[in-house]
Amino acid sequence: MLTYIGRRILQMIPVFIGVTILLFILRAPGVLPGDPIKLITGERAISPALYNQIVKENALDKPLWYQYGRWMDHLFHGDLGESYQLKRPVADILIEKFPNTLKLALVAILIECFMGMAAGILSAVKRYSFWDVLVTLSTSILVSLPVFWLGMILQVIFGIKFKEWGLPYLPISGMTSADFPGWVHYVLPAVTLASISTAYAARITRSQLLEVMGQDYMRTASAKGLTGGQVIWRHGLKNALIPVVTYLGLDLGAMVGGTILTETVFNWPGIGFQIYRAILSRDWPIVLGAVVIIVILVMIINLLVDISYAFLDPRIRYGRVAK
Amino acid sequence: MKLRKHAWIGLVLGIILVGALVALAGCGGGTATTTSSSTPAGEQPVKGGTLNVYINEPVSIDPVDLEESEGTQVGQALFDSLTTFDYLTMKVGPAAAASWDVNADASVFTFHLVPGAKFHDGTPVTAGDFVYAWNRLCDPANKSNVSYHLAPVKGFDEVQAGTVKELSGVKAIDDNTLEVTLSYSFADFIYVVAHPTLAPVPKAAVEKDPAAFSAAPVGNGPFMMDGTWQHDQSIQLKAFADYYGKKPNIDGIAFKIFKDPETAFLEFKAGNLDWTMIPTGQIKATQDQYGTSDDGYTGNPGKQVQLGSELSIYYLVVNTKDDIFKNPDLRQAVSLAINRQAIADTVYEGTRAPATSIIPPGIVGYEDGAFPYSKYDVEAAKAALTKAGYPNGQGLPELTLSCNSGGGHEDVMALVQADLKAIGINVKTDFTEWAAYLKKLDDGTFQFGRLGWVADYPIIDNFVYPLFKSGSADNKSKYENPAVDSALEAARKTLDESERIKAYQAIVKTVGQDTPVIPIVAYKHHHVTSARVFNLILSPNYLLDFQDCWIKG
Repeated sequence: MLTYIGRRILQMIPVFIGVTILLFILRAPGVLPGDPIKLITGERAISPALYNQIVKENALDKPLWYQYGRWMDHLFHGDLGESYQLKRPVADILIEKFPNTLKLALVAILIECFMGMAAGILSAVKRYSFWDVLVTLSTSILVSLPVFWLGMILQVIFGIKFKEWGLPYLPISGMTSADFPGWVHYVLPAVTLASISTAYAARITRSQLLEVMGQDYMRTASAKGLTGGQVIWRHGLKNALIPVVTYLGLDLGAMVGGTILTETVFNWPGIGFQIYRAILSRDWPIVLGAVVIIVILVMIINLLVDISYAFLDPRIRYGRVAK
Repeated sequence: MKLRKHAWIGLVLGIILVGALVALAGCGGGTATTTSSSTPAGEQPVKGGTLNVYINEPVSIDPVDLEESEGTQVGQALFDSLTTFDYLTMKVGPAAAASWDVNADASVFTFHLVPGAKFHDGTPVTAGDFVYAWNRLCDPANKSNVSYHLAPVKGFDEVQAGTVKELSGVKAIDDNTLEVTLSYSFADFIYVVAHPTLAPVPKAAVEKDPAAFSAAPVGNGPFMMDGTWQHDQSIQLKAFADYYGKKPNIDGIAFKIFKDPETAFLEFKAGNLDWTMIPTGQIKATQDQYGTSDDGYTGNPGKQVQLGSELSIYYLVVNTKDDIFKNPDLRQAVSLAINRQAIADTVYEGTRAPATSIIPPGIVGYEDGAFPYSKYDVEAAKAALTKAGYPNGQGLPELTLSCNSGGGHEDVMALVQADLKAIGINVKTDFTEWAAYLKKLDDGTFQFGRLGWVADYPIIDNFVYPLFKSGSADNKSKYENPAVDSALEAARKTLDESERIKAYQAIVKTVGQDTPVIPIVAYKHHHVTSARVFNLILSPNYLLDFQDCWIKG
């Protein structure tokens, strides 16, 4: 197992280098149109002095391979450069924004895990019942609701209408406010962010569990005299979970890259909107810095998912490849 | 599959849930309560309260780089510059400078500072602090985007080039006297020094920790920082007890930072904001619900929607070096063919007004109709097209209208395209994202396209000099007219205010004849104040007046 983890970590190095080289190719002259520094002032021309200053500081007049080497060198010294547009160290911006994105993503994944899997198990076990139809129907609706629309509807209902009706209401946007304890601010954005994924998680759990429940060993387990709960829990769920865990892992990976729509609607100070803005304005130091962190996080999450397979399915054992 | 009995209940319940959700969504705007119709007549200012204000994330709130509306909004509450411009009287008045003298050819300005004024940290404001702040603004190491404000000052080019560190034209004669020598005559300079980016900064506080200063600047204005800038969340200000000027009624300002005006508008409706932008598509409904401000600028309970003119113009830039567009008659034909009212009404829902000049209303010396071809007249357009040598568009190749995608520009360009088609000019559109579009403008590889211009100061010079002076980086039309160039220099030397304004008005008319740009619409505010706020003025240059408003209830 340890050999396997070691090998996977070593594999991350070429992936990381590949991704960063790709990004550097994108900034080669002629690949993406536009001069990032000229974009700084919007519709007004930038002063030559400022232009030269930024070119000089970022070695933008040097060949691309030199810039790449320089950037890598700085990276290993913990320096991610300075944003062209905001003129602040990229590391400061990332330290400010990434935790907010991670916190929201983790809350959303928890909702997804518990709500999604519980709904899936319920509807599989009580197939064709009232609960099954309710889960199937509501997941169909959730999957088809655009995130920004659902977010705004929740804001109107729980933020504005509930307040008007004198009911306990929720904050509409932001991470902090004087009127509410901090955790309350997570409710609406996390529910919105989790909505579609919860529905998928429920559906995957349901279909996997149904498939497993049709297997011979499940019948055998029942025949041995195990209770329904024991059969489902010990024999059914463990076998059904692998696709669900894979899905949750991928989803968490997507979420750590920031979720532009949810962040925008709920005014969440996360990384997604920052990257979006940086891409539009070709603010390469931010784009590169953020992608580095996202790549590393996604690779770690994928590794954790792979390791979890071994615990879920005894047939999966990572070790030396048999010859 | 056969459903069990209970399953039907689930199905029905599900449908009811969806129905309820849709119904709730629908009543968002309909069942709104109307606000009280109290007027400020007889209302007396009340002390206290915190004003909750919508902004986007600023680029900077430090005077070293107050480059866009959001940062400037915060900066003007924290800092006072030498002068201030009053939009009600259209006059420049004293601020940090109590008075000033100008020499005969408008090249040396002597400012006499208000004695006893203090920074928020208690240190006195001296002429030396202005010298320090201005050198700091121009030093290329500080990477300011707005050092150009001081381009008229002697020594600016040398400091920008990095050969010297200090502007030779700025001197502290004594603690209360600041002498500014310009490298050319520029009588409008007293308008320039009203900009908050030219405010003084305390050297000791900056040099102790520049990053900390940028996150929580120490100013000389009516409000001071309450904590530091919470990026993408909020900036809190409180009234400065030792302020030298008129003290504000309110205790503080909470600038709440939003990414999306839609979200901010929901917060406004929930009662959490006192001033916000109205999202497009909701202006009429908001006017019905909250009432409209009489002058378009002052928000009071029951008259809360602000729709006054801004100092910004939306225009088409025409490449005067293009083989086809070098013909001014063709440019005039295009200008006459565009139905600006239709654009203002359909695309902008009345939040823009048809432009009749490159100068928007609200600028000192604005004249309606200064661009004679900036009007909708199909017959005249056809006549001009014939005069250009293309009767009914015959012989005219297809033209390319370039534009940056997003921001609703495509809709405007589609209307322009249809208007031009109507007089026989075939146009194809070329939409690219901003970075690529800007490159085309800079390289001159376009025929005509769109741009916007926002004034820094309420003076004509702020439009005509950057946009039409030969060789100016913002002159994307590549317009060259020696008569305009020399008239611009002459106007800048004219000390007499009314003579100067006349000179600039003449320049605008000359440029209007040549039509290197085609004005489309002038911007208007689309903002709303809350029912508890009195006398909150949003000036044409998008600055809120925090000193004269008050909060009740």
